Amino acid sequence: MGLPDASGDLSSEVEVHAFRRLFPLRFYERHLSESIRPDGRPLGRARDTTIALGAVASADGSALAKIGSTTMLAAIKMEVMTPSMESPDEGCLAIDFHMPPICSPIVRPGRPAEAAPVVSKQLSDTISSSVMADLKELSLVSGKAAWMAYLDIYCLDADGALFDAALLSAVAALSHLQIPAVSLNEDGRVVVVSEEDEGKPEKEPVNREKRKLTLKSIPFSLTCILHKNYILADPTAEEESIMETLVTVVLDSSSQLISLYKPGGPVLANTSAIQDSIALTRQRVRELQKILDEANSGMEVD
Amino acid sequence: MRQIRAEIGAVAKADGSAVFEMGNTKVIAAVYGPREVQNRSQQMNDKALVRCEYSMANFSTGDRMRKPKGDRRSTEISLVIRQTMEACILTHLMPRSQIDIFVQVLQADGGTRSACINAATLALADAGIPLRDLVTSCSSGYLNSTPLLDLNYVEDSAGGPDVTVGFLPKLDKVTLLQMDSKLPIDIFENVMQLAIEGCKAVANYIREILLENTKQLEYRRGL
Repeated sequence: MGLPDASGDLSSEVEVHAFRRLFPLRFYERHLSESIRPDGRPLGRARDTTIALGAVASADGSALAKIGSTTMLAAIKMEVMTPSMESPDEGCLAIDFHMPPICSPIVRPGRPAEAAPVVSKQLSDTISSSVMADLKELSLVSGKAAWMAYLDIYCLDADGALFDAALLSAVAALSHLQIPAVSLNEDGRVVVVSEEDEGKPEKEPVNREKRKLTLKSIPFSLTCILHKNYILADPTAEEESIMETLVTVVLDSSSQLISLYKPGGPVLANTSAIQDSIALTRQRVRELQKILDEANSGMEVD
Repeated sequence: MRQIRAEIGAVAKADGSAVFEMGNTKVIAAVYGPREVQNRSQQMNDKALVRCEYSMANFSTGDRMRKPKGDRRSTEISLVIRQTMEACILTHLMPRSQIDIFVQVLQADGGTRSACINAATLALADAGIPLRDLVTSCSSGYLNSTPLLDLNYVEDSAGGPDVTVGFLPKLDKVTLLQMDSKLPIDIFENVMQLAIEGCKAVANYIREILLENTKQLEYRRGL
């Protein structure tokens, strides 16, 4: 089944749209048998991805990540707090994922989306198990003061592959994060150093200047859909709703497997399917690493 | 007035959407509708139901907000936006349906109410919902014996009066008028006129953006 021609034959276009809505699975299978998807992508290719760092000027670190139409805005705000007794020289990273009603017609105010807490938990598990950021870097005065980083991710447009986009925006925001310079004043309280205070001797700086977090082993992910014996990388929301079996693979930049997530689904995956997904993810990690590096170096030039 | 920037069609999934910036205040609005009423008991047989929700992102203000929606200010602003937009949507053309307007504040630096109304207008226009007229909004205040247009957060918290006006430019009517703090009546006239001038400037900008958008759509459609 070819795509409708652009010379505007409206009646056949309407028929294609009707077929797509009435028999979505058959519509997709006709495309899959030609190894292509309705938006023209080959089965293993992900959508165009962009990252924009520093999207929110008032936050300490922020990033806007777009995979196709799926848009995620992540921003980090730092606050000082007293560290817990068990880990007195570690700061804390709190991750929160929100799906406001603007992102999708199925999210209603008062009835949060089903996907939101799932992605939220997946994200915090992945980021804490990937050991990307050393929490000791967030400490200020051992036992007394440490940074609490609140990472809030807002989904602005939900068009499939929510976890991938959320993880990418979180990682980009963390790489953009600049920890503000603070000093300890006479009452023993931590205050933010502003540029005018530089000459004052009484304040003893705890952080000399704004610094960035050192990130090792950055995690990247790819979600694939399994359908019969096809593997589709980076599904759109329409694909996710028709073919329900998802596999999410998270690899880090040295191709070590951080997490693998297959939450049930009608299709059973054999080992070769999983290995194929991992191979697709490995390729995707290289693409994403390049995109993130370009975004970071773009920021440094400014 | 601060620099305005607007963009239509930011959210692909929504029927209509817009991002509106006034200086450092950045707001995204999405409109879903007309669609089937989700709560049958609220269905109105002769007009469309308009619903609005205003929420602020946790990172939008200087200190991180704990409760972005459900607090009094958000509920009040949701109500204000709903009533303002309901006045200009031709609801009798779409009975038994629902129009949802969702507004999310990404960065707040004063004038969020105005930015939300402007963004909602653009999003409604993008969704193709029949409107009586565009609603534009602008705020003004009075500090140090000078009327000021489009206050930012610092000017707003200085304690002077803050007048927000919602204006229909073609019909030349005021639909929303809110003021807090004290102001003598003759100065109030000046401040309100200033806000109306601001609204007219915003209306011109919005019209340009919509014209540009229509030209793009025509071009893409091959006309």
